[in-house]
Amino acid sequence: MQHGFYFDHQRCVKCHACEIACKTWNEVDVGPRWREVVKIESGTYPDVQAMNVSMACMHCGDAPCRNACPVSAITKRAEDGIVVVDPNKCIGCGFCAWACPFNAPQLSASAGKMEKCNFCQTPGKERPLDMPRACEEICPTGAIRSGPMTELAKLNREEAAARLGGMAVQGFPALMVQAQQQFGPGGGDD
Amino acid sequence: MATQAADLGARLAGIKDAEVIKSFCYTCPWQCPTEVFVRDGKVVYHKGNPESPNNIGSRCAKGMASWYVTQDPDRLKFPLLRTNPKGEPGQFRRATWDEALDFIAGKLNDIKEKYGPEAVAFTCHHDPNTHFYWHLLKDLYGSPNMYAHTSGCEQDRRSACLTMFGHVFPMHDFANSRYVMLWGMNNLGANQGLWESRALIDAKKKGCKLVVIDPNFTETAQKADEWIPVNPGSDGALALAMCRVIIEADLFDRDFVNQHCSGFDGFRDHLREKGYTPEWAEPITGVSAETITRVAREFATTKPAMSAMFKGSGYYTNGADAGRACYILDAITGEVDKPGNINLKDWAPLGAAVDIPEDAMATPSKDPLHVAMGYPLAPDLPNSRLPDAVIDGNPYPVKGLFVQSTNPVMSDPNRDRVQEMFKHLELAVTCELFMSETALESDVVLPETSFYEQAEIRQGMWIGAEVVLCQPAVAPVGESKPPYEIVKMLAGKMGWGQHFPYEKWEDWGELMMRDVPMSLDELKSKGFWADRVRYNRVPDGLPTPSGKVEIHSQAYADAGHDPYPVYSERSVIPDNDYPLQVTHSKFSMHCNIVTQNNPFLMEICGENWVEINSRDAALYGIQNDTYVMVESPKDKIRILAKVVEGLVPGCVSIRHGHGFGHWAMGNVAKGKGAHSNNLMDTHTSPITGANCYNECKVRVYPASS
Repeated sequence: MQHGFYFDHQRCVKCHACEIACKTWNEVDVGPRWREVVKIESGTYPDVQAMNVSMACMHCGDAPCRNACPVSAITKRAEDGIVVVDPNKCIGCGFCAWACPFNAPQLSASAGKMEKCNFCQTPGKERPLDMPRACEEICPTGAIRSGPMTELAKLNREEAAARLGGMAVQGFPALMVQAQQQFGPGGGDD
Repeated sequence: MATQAADLGARLAGIKDAEVIKSFCYTCPWQCPTEVFVRDGKVVYHKGNPESPNNIGSRCAKGMASWYVTQDPDRLKFPLLRTNPKGEPGQFRRATWDEALDFIAGKLNDIKEKYGPEAVAFTCHHDPNTHFYWHLLKDLYGSPNMYAHTSGCEQDRRSACLTMFGHVFPMHDFANSRYVMLWGMNNLGANQGLWESRALIDAKKKGCKLVVIDPNFTETAQKADEWIPVNPGSDGALALAMCRVIIEADLFDRDFVNQHCSGFDGFRDHLREKGYTPEWAEPITGVSAETITRVAREFATTKPAMSAMFKGSGYYTNGADAGRACYILDAITGEVDKPGNINLKDWAPLGAAVDIPEDAMATPSKDPLHVAMGYPLAPDLPNSRLPDAVIDGNPYPVKGLFVQSTNPVMSDPNRDRVQEMFKHLELAVTCELFMSETALESDVVLPETSFYEQAEIRQGMWIGAEVVLCQPAVAPVGESKPPYEIVKMLAGKMGWGQHFPYEKWEDWGELMMRDVPMSLDELKSKGFWADRVRYNRVPDGLPTPSGKVEIHSQAYADAGHDPYPVYSERSVIPDNDYPLQVTHSKFSMHCNIVTQNNPFLMEICGENWVEINSRDAALYGIQNDTYVMVESPKDKIRILAKVVEGLVPGCVSIRHGHGFGHWAMGNVAKGKGAHSNNLMDTHTSPITGANCYNECKVRVYPASS
């Protein structure tokens, strides 16, 4: 069953707590950023808008990073769809970083290897999937959720239903990254 | 799907083979309850306490990165004594605790003999266990001058709420609100109470309307249904015009103002006499009369509603009455302390940590500084006037200064004057984690423990009455000590050791908890005590002179001010030479002056900048992401510029100007960004004594290299 993230930009206030929680749990040093919050601004004064997006590895269905890796260091786990990198095989060539449309793979200058979000499966620190990810657990406003994609789709439906019912204010729909639609088969909920 | 559960901490600790200690975070003054995971004497993880209503298990970036302080190589490890003359950047030698405290005790006795005990003042920002110092220096030594940081923060809000509601710090019941109007308040960007952030976002999801009044398109304004870009320093005019609309349209709550407010009729007449109308306010505020009228009507007719301000509406010499006018909107619509309003929260029945008998207490012979300086309504020291006392003896000499967990050399306006002040002190003691810029000017520097290394019991910042507990999780760095040990040792040297009889922190912890319906042992296992949320305290009577919500402020009248809020123009107005008004904003991942040595936070934001609207940028030849000079009549700085749309033209917004450009603090912090507080001259709110950081005009031009 494919696991993934659900991100609600209406909740994100760009506090960056998710980034630091990720680093603290997974013991990531200064340099690589497995997760990063970016702000997208638009409009001209005084009609301005801004949207925040917390970005990490999307654990894509047909992961471009895996396909680009010349030494097969990147694999997609059959049981949960999590895309992981084997540091023993990685040669730090950076092809994965070029292939990834989300800038998820991060090259660690100190280790000379690629590293990225592993869904909190850092060896010795594997969070069971029924617990929140470090980023999700720490988020003050509840902007990040994780779980099986089928469960996350329900959240999106609830949001949409609330909007139809006039419960929510106008704005963008909540963003759920459905990587399998963008990158072909192999990333579904099967 | 993954869900938060109370046993999550234990499961995570199991993964990491760690002990879980219930504690709180004191990176900022909101003190989120935490779970700290410790293994082999080291912090291996930490997170929010999921049972705490205060932060519902969550944290902010500043708090999450705070573990680094336990291993920061730049932490102070030993007491230090100055070896070179004052006025030069301090050179220090390592001293023993005995030596350092003997020096302090000797100087304290000298100063008391020569000038009296009031010549010693105490100031702090964060106040970790500060009450121990106050027991020593106030109760026993006899100085009335125990102060904190409010004049650099929400002094105008605090003063408004104290005079109107008799409450020092109302909370925001966003969860139940249908209409929230925030003035100069960026709680979502500042990560104040995390329960407030969650509640505001949840309320918005349920259809609550959010209106943000601010010259800056802040993180909170981003989430607003309506951002009202107001001219800097004109909030008072806008709020008074809204009051007028509501009263003339008969949209006020007649029963509430008749029964529970003082001076409503006088206020209505005052608005009419002064001619405060939307048409009058339009050219002052830059907000159309139509918008003012519409928003006022929406606010008055949507219930429950809330009008609340924070420090952005202050920082001008007219900020005090801006604050009062903002909260009078709540009063005249009857929206005070009901569900969905500002909440006059109860405080927990915490006791004193030491039991000093009445006959041992010193009686101050002089008024505290703020009263003697002529600011009787100031809820805290007008610290922009402290140099007058130290340098000129006005209103009376101050010769000794304790600085704990604050850094006035960087945080107060007019840095030159603050540095000059330290030359004139006979005793300057800085209690700190780092060699701060203020420590550099001091005679003695005492290394304190961080909140990971000490115990503390204090009032929680949740909407209901709450007690939060911090417990030592790891050993102190070097020879650093917690305040309760430092004070006990210093008291011993001054002959007052018997008043600090505790051997371990639990001894004073028991004393503080004696009236709280929870034992210290239970508090240690749970981390906090929280009462239920309470409402509707107004009919019971408020601690104001009239017992009512004071639209007519008796305290203002007694102090010789207009009992009703008036609008006056701010003091510093841009001109041809200096055409831009200075405003200030902060970063979400930095707390004031304390986080810039943290490499994880500096990775996200390692430099501060000035923001300028694209129209002004075109006018002055400023390109985005280039360096510019920002020059006031007093000083100039070189700083990165960001060209933005979300800012009122005619002003700049210096982001985190007081917290960057460190020249002492630590190897990560030093030399990053620009310190901007010397651009300002000294401007003090004539009513509240607040520092007026925004009373400053500048010109901006490209830096030559």
